[in-house]
Amino acid sequence: MKRIIRLKLNGRDREDAVSDNALLIDYLRETAAATSVKQGCDGGECGACTVLIDGQARPACITLAATCDGRAVETVEGLARDGRLSALQRAFHERLGVQCGFCTPGMIMAAEGLLRDNARPDEAAIRQALAGNLCRCTGYVKIIEAVQAAAEAQS
Amino acid sequence: MNAPLPDFSLARPQSADEAVAQRLAAPAARYLAGGTDLVVNMRRGLVDADLLIDLSGIDELATLSANESGLTIGAGVTLAALAADPALKTYPAIVQAANAVAGPGHRAAATLGGNLCLDTRCLYYNQSEWWRRSNDYCLKYKGDVCHVAPTGDKCRAAFSGDLAPALLVHDAEIEIAGPDGRRRLPLTELYRDDGAAYLALTPEELLVAVHLPAGSRHSAYEKVRLRGAIDFPLAGVAVAVTDDDPTPRLKVAVTGTNSRPFLIEGLDDLDAGQLGEAELVLIDKAVQKQVSPVRTTMVAGHYRRLAAARLARRLAAGLASA
Amino acid sequence: MSKVMSKAGTRLPLIDGVEKVTGAAQFTADLPARDALVGRILRSPVAHGEIVRLGASKALALEGVRAVVTGADCAHTYGILPIAMNEYPLARDKVRYRGEPVAAVAAIDAATAERALALIELEIREFPAYFTADAALADDAALIHDDKPGNLERHVHDSFGDVAAGFAEADLVSEETFLCAEVTHAMMEPHAALADYDREHDRLTLHTVSQVPYYVHLMLARCLEMEASRIRVIKPFVGGGFGARTETLNFELIVALLARRANGKVMMTLSREETFLTHRGRPQTDVRLKLGMTRDGRLTAADCEVTQRGGAYAGYGIVTILYAGALLHGLYDIPATHYEGRRVYANLPPCGAMRGHGTVDMRHAFECLLDRMARELNLDPFAVRRRNLLTAPMRTLNDLMVNSYGLDECLERVEQASGWVKRKGKLPPGRGLGLACSHYVSGAAKAVHRTGEPHAVVTLKLDFDAGVTAITVALAVAEVLGIDVGRVRVVANDSAVTPKDNGAYSSRVTFMVGNAAIEAAKNLREILIEAAAGKLDAPAAEIDCIGETFRVDGGAQSELSFAEVTAAALVDTGTITTKGTFTCPPEAQGGKHRGGAVGSTMGFSYAAQVVEVSVDEDLGTIRVEKVWAAHDCGFAINPLAVEGQVQGSVWMGMGQALSEETRFADGLPVHASMLDYGVPTIAESPDIHVDIVESIDPLGPFGAKEAGEGALSGFPPAMVNAVADAIGLDVNVLPVTPDRLVEALTQKRRADKRQAAKAAKVAVS
Repeated sequence: MKRIIRLKLNGRDREDAVSDNALLIDYLRETAAATSVKQGCDGGECGACTVLIDGQARPACITLAATCDGRAVETVEGLARDGRLSALQRAFHERLGVQCGFCTPGMIMAAEGLLRDNARPDEAAIRQALAGNLCRCTGYVKIIEAVQAAAEAQS
Repeated sequence: MNAPLPDFSLARPQSADEAVAQRLAAPAARYLAGGTDLVVNMRRGLVDADLLIDLSGIDELATLSANESGLTIGAGVTLAALAADPALKTYPAIVQAANAVAGPGHRAAATLGGNLCLDTRCLYYNQSEWWRRSNDYCLKYKGDVCHVAPTGDKCRAAFSGDLAPALLVHDAEIEIAGPDGRRRLPLTELYRDDGAAYLALTPEELLVAVHLPAGSRHSAYEKVRLRGAIDFPLAGVAVAVTDDDPTPRLKVAVTGTNSRPFLIEGLDDLDAGQLGEAELVLIDKAVQKQVSPVRTTMVAGHYRRLAAARLARRLAAGLASA
Repeated sequence: MSKVMSKAGTRLPLIDGVEKVTGAAQFTADLPARDALVGRILRSPVAHGEIVRLGASKALALEGVRAVVTGADCAHTYGILPIAMNEYPLARDKVRYRGEPVAAVAAIDAATAERALALIELEIREFPAYFTADAALADDAALIHDDKPGNLERHVHDSFGDVAAGFAEADLVSEETFLCAEVTHAMMEPHAALADYDREHDRLTLHTVSQVPYYVHLMLARCLEMEASRIRVIKPFVGGGFGARTETLNFELIVALLARRANGKVMMTLSREETFLTHRGRPQTDVRLKLGMTRDGRLTAADCEVTQRGGAYAGYGIVTILYAGALLHGLYDIPATHYEGRRVYANLPPCGAMRGHGTVDMRHAFECLLDRMARELNLDPFAVRRRNLLTAPMRTLNDLMVNSYGLDECLERVEQASGWVKRKGKLPPGRGLGLACSHYVSGAAKAVHRTGEPHAVVTLKLDFDAGVTAITVALAVAEVLGIDVGRVRVVANDSAVTPKDNGAYSSRVTFMVGNAAIEAAKNLREILIEAAAGKLDAPAAEIDCIGETFRVDGGAQSELSFAEVTAAALVDTGTITTKGTFTCPPEAQGGKHRGGAVGSTMGFSYAAQVVEVSVDEDLGTIRVEKVWAAHDCGFAINPLAVEGQVQGSVWMGMGQALSEETRFADGLPVHASMLDYGVPTIAESPDIHVDIVESIDPLGPFGAKEAGEGALSGFPPAMVNAVADAIGLDVNVLPVTPDRLVEALTQKRRADKRQAAKAAKVAVS
């Protein structure tokens, strides 16, 4: 069955027909062309698809698109303002919080969710907030440094 | 592009009664809460359903309220909300258990009810359709042999929810909505010791709330797992000290080792205020005797038995000295 | 953005980092492919057997199915080593592991493709299957490959020096056996490939996740019987590889076969489970090691026996088993060695090259045993390693060239940083420190395919916009030209545009491509200096370019901007292209003995690390508190990147040490998800302090050597040594999961008790 959903994606209103059984990740990638949302596992295990739903970081690969009707969804495509990187994007870039880049969009969105809740998280809070996001390149050291730097830059 | 989920339609009821009615009308329907278990399992071809009844629009389920008799927690309250709610401060094991589930993204979506009804797990079950077909399926789903215990006639998949033991040691009751109205029962009666039919509910019945008695209890929850996050418990243990007067009692509950979470028996005579080495040995032995982990995980059952006992002993000692 | 004049040695972010943080970076699965068919693979449910029947007609008849291919569609084997290509893209006649591709479909959507797979009729007559090296080696075992008696892919014997004399001279001879579980890369991006076949022009374009597009190109030509000129291979952003993608993989060939059969475009994204099945990871390895040592810690001889369970096909197997023996050398001065290596076939997904290829498990055994012998002789772990250092330049016993050697300084740095002297032995109960050293090659000095071509080629293009277009190693180019790195555009691998490159493996990019890039930049610089000289009417020898400004020696009055000089240089000639090449000199290419080329390199990196752990004996859990790593990368062209690489490799070593392993139930993988394969999360990952040591290699680009692999193999032994320090328990199996630790503790307590009882008996009598 198909239905019309209305949601705000990265600040823009959308109205799309989606199948009841469509996953949010497939809707975002195929219908909305938000290909930053990555599929890194077979469902719910790696965090690469993390997006914000009403400001909360959630895995898009185990969320049904139809349940996001009326909600605000944000992906990393929506973070830059007027072509300038957000504080988190800049910190991940400049401090090498990114290597291959595949986990990066999800990682940044998880961190974004954290910083909106807690502008100056300590290291333990950062570790807790990113614990569902796997990275295979960095060993996480520079990811933690990047989130700390972004928090500092924003305050 | 992912392999598509099975074709189903989605209902979004506004009340528990409406949900139950929809479920009654559609025998192959399933309730959908946070989706962190059900959708994952659907992606692996483990769920046959032509209708999913999305519970997220039911206000009653999302409500957490306190009164003099205790707490009523809607089954749809998310684990993140539960862990953050000040009303849970006097139930530390529950907060610890909620925070120990998976990762933060899951906890933002997953609900208390979903975690209590979490499907049992086994390394022969939580696999792709290709994998299971190549292995002639298993007793839990589509097959007729349990690969863990081939001579047995019962599925040994392990219950792996973190919240249940924490709620058990706090004497939680659950409220069920069904075709004939509401009923309330101790949480322990929700479960059956059968990995394939682990819930003692009829298909239409819906878990709507958890009731916790008032009063303060020292309690704690801890689990062992390979990694510091994401993983299900290889063994998880909750312990609480009751405020019984004059002799505080000890409650110990276990998850991850059997097809159901359960309270350890035989500890009623212990004085939780007087736990010495002998009492701790008794707790250790009771846990080792009553848990029955088998080869449902990559980590050996023998270890999970020991770990459960050691966790119980350690948590009990910690609470006694607190 | 302000201009940063880029000097080699400056901390710089990635040249494509902005694309990665904005989501603009397109990985293979992100490529626009709305019109593409969906490709799916049918995999063998059986571990070992003969294909009796494979019927595709029902699948082909399904509406929406555009192509079905089977083993009948490709009669050519493929593989990475010209001497060991024994794998077909789709099984023919025989299947050898559960999950091996047997057929594939292309359909209008994923659902149709799945339905079509279910309609393919497959009947297999089962043979006995072997899931351990021992079972496969058994006398009566059926052969997995008819031409490989005993299921032995390769048996290596190497002896250097007088081993017997070495052991005779030793004051202490110890022997232990170490079991290391199979691990795999688990890069974050699942495999994917997009193939487009243009029937009118008979041309094939493949976008793929490969680290080695050139080798993929060769195998496409071979398997599809197409002229290489009709094939184009493009590498978009790649989400990690760690060696998984350093050989052509079956799905790359299958998707191409499908596209040609369908006369169109086919997108194939593998599931995570399929990505695990494609594997090519580090084999399960047993190492028996015997070392001889004098009382003062001098090594006298090493005797090492390695058995690797290689899986169903050859892959890089021969190289892996040779590497383990070759890299016994090059780290310490060992007067005599004997090595026996056995690479064994088994009915499991094929192993391949993984970060630290060949060395990791052998190094684990070596560093653990070295530590235990030091303990027995009452020597400090640092002292015993310092007692056995090499002196560069030198050639090892097995004829490997060591031109730069910073291990002594690495030891110095981690000893300082970790507070070893003050803290060792004085930590609270359950807490301990451990040390290990390691090394790795900076690119194999002998190419896999010997074509007589240079090992690396880089071209530069300078055009009207005064922009420089290069492939990789932008910083090296900027440094030589004296320009802002932002002026350098990097065009990644596209066989239609960029020069042939062997790919990103064996840590060859920095060293080989770096050197080629420097030569290309020098050639371009010469042209620009010449043009500037003409403009400024001064001899070329007196012109210099610093900070994008050309000046006559010392003179400030006349100077030209980079754009002005570019314009001058373009007069009459137009677009300028230059080329640089690099070839490893023959003396770096290893000894004359059989397999002597493996392990040969232009320069070894060196690393030392100290790991601090706390151990919970009750639960058997190990917490890694902190790591101090020092890495000799010759020269850090980009220190920020070096740190990141070292941290990443140390951490990957931690995964292998603590939680990662593949497991099979009768050949079915029970680890094939990101839940069950234990890639460490941020929650338990420690802080990793990195010290960079610069030994300035005489042959490296600006003196640089590799930075992304060498530190990995130090972690597991340093951790196991730290566990021994913490709780007095020697563990001989990886990964050290809680159940294994508890089991080892139980056994030790039993043994201690027996020992005590015996001692008591002796005392009584």
